Amino acid sequence: MAEYFDINIVIEYMPYFLKGALLTIGVSIVGILFGCILGMFIGMGKMIKKWYFNFPFVWYINFFRGTPLIVQLFLFHFAVLPAMFDSVSATTSLMVTLSLNSAAYVAEIFRAGIKSLDRGQAEAARSLGMSKIQVMRYVVLPQAFKRMIPPLGNEFIVLLKDSALGAMIAAPELFYWGRAAVGEYYRVWEAYIMVALFYLVLTLSLTYLLNYLERRLDTE
Amino acid sequence: MISVQNLKKSFGDLEVLKDISVDVAEQEVVVVIGPSGSGKSTFLRCLNLIETITDGHVYIEGVDITGKKTNINDIRTEVGMVFQQFNLFPHKTVLENITLPMQVVRKWNKADAKTKALALLKKVGLEDKADVYPDSLSGGQKQRVAIARALGMEPKIMLFDEPTSALDPEMVGEVLEVMKQLAKEGMTMVVVTHEMGFAREVGDRVIFMDEGYIVEQGDPKEIFENPKHERTQSFLSKVL
Repeated sequence: MAEYFDINIVIEYMPYFLKGALLTIGVSIVGILFGCILGMFIGMGKMIKKWYFNFPFVWYINFFRGTPLIVQLFLFHFAVLPAMFDSVSATTSLMVTLSLNSAAYVAEIFRAGIKSLDRGQAEAARSLGMSKIQVMRYVVLPQAFKRMIPPLGNEFIVLLKDSALGAMIAAPELFYWGRAAVGEYYRVWEAYIMVALFYLVLTLSLTYLLNYLERRLDTE
Repeated sequence: MISVQNLKKSFGDLEVLKDISVDVAEQEVVVVIGPSGSGKSTFLRCLNLIETITDGHVYIEGVDITGKKTNINDIRTEVGMVFQQFNLFPHKTVLENITLPMQVVRKWNKADAKTKALALLKKVGLEDKADVYPDSLSGGQKQRVAIARALGMEPKIMLFDEPTSALDPEMVGEVLEVMKQLAKEGMTMVVVTHEMGFAREVGDRVIFMDEGYIVEQGDPKEIFENPKHERTQSFLSKVL
């Protein structure tokens, strides 16, 4: 049996896998949080009608959706961030890149959520004397947010999985420890299966959480 | 109450309203009829600036609504509007639909708003639906809630944009009944509709619009029984 699956490797590396999983969760939460905040601003920026106001936002989205995440990660970790700060950890680079990258996708999700609302909703609210900000806050955003949950959920899951790219710049997240185990023992099955299982547990938990949220907000 | 002077409205190259001038007196019920594409809905939507005005002026109680010093939100609280598609807020209960603008715009406290909203729901015969979401209502009920919501702002003028056009035939009556009641109470109303019976019975004046102009206007009886203009005659012969 040990010839095929050496459980001792799993046992030995379990603390590292757990530590790595925690970091994976951490960078994902940071990425989602900042991605959402930044993404909302960028989404709103792209909705400005005048092209000379919206074009920085349009090109932000073009860049981050149009280039591979791993290229962005290397660019920020080895070039952009070192040019701005003295010492940047791989984990910081990973969080920054994931946040900036997911912001571009969230921006589009946000924009689509607002655009998908019937114009009559805003018109009715305006006809009652609400200001533009009140219309956004009380009528448009709550409804748009509800519609944004399924696509945002997908984006969160993609982001969580993409955080594995951090291993390429030696950010000690889950996949990094998987590779470390393989590197030490020259055995591929044990570590990679464990890492895959960890990711599966994380994404399935997230899916469950999002489904629950979606049901809670249902008004029908 | 409402004074429209040389109102023009274009969407790009398409001129939808081509010089409309009309006055509406206090407590008057004006019914606007005309073929689709005649500009009657656009005309109505210009009265509270839901549609921007290309040229001309609209005065509500003497205030130029496009004036630089005019706060359009203040004007809109005085001018209620009811839409063809109801436009109730689906994420709010029936009661919340009515109390939201009361609290947010009028700044009334929650208890006052609720008391007033329940009274309005009673008026439109839906007090038992206060806590349900709009999705569970029929079209006629939705439109009555929409009317109650608009009335909640205590407007001096009510605009109705084809309020019964999206309803199943058997639900038209209940909405018209509420509107009739409102007219009886002395509300100033401008109603765009295809309900000729309502126009004849409740309207103080009928305006016939076609291709962006007011073709003919006057006493409903006069318009329906003895239309002067050829286009009015041909329209009425098709709908009556």
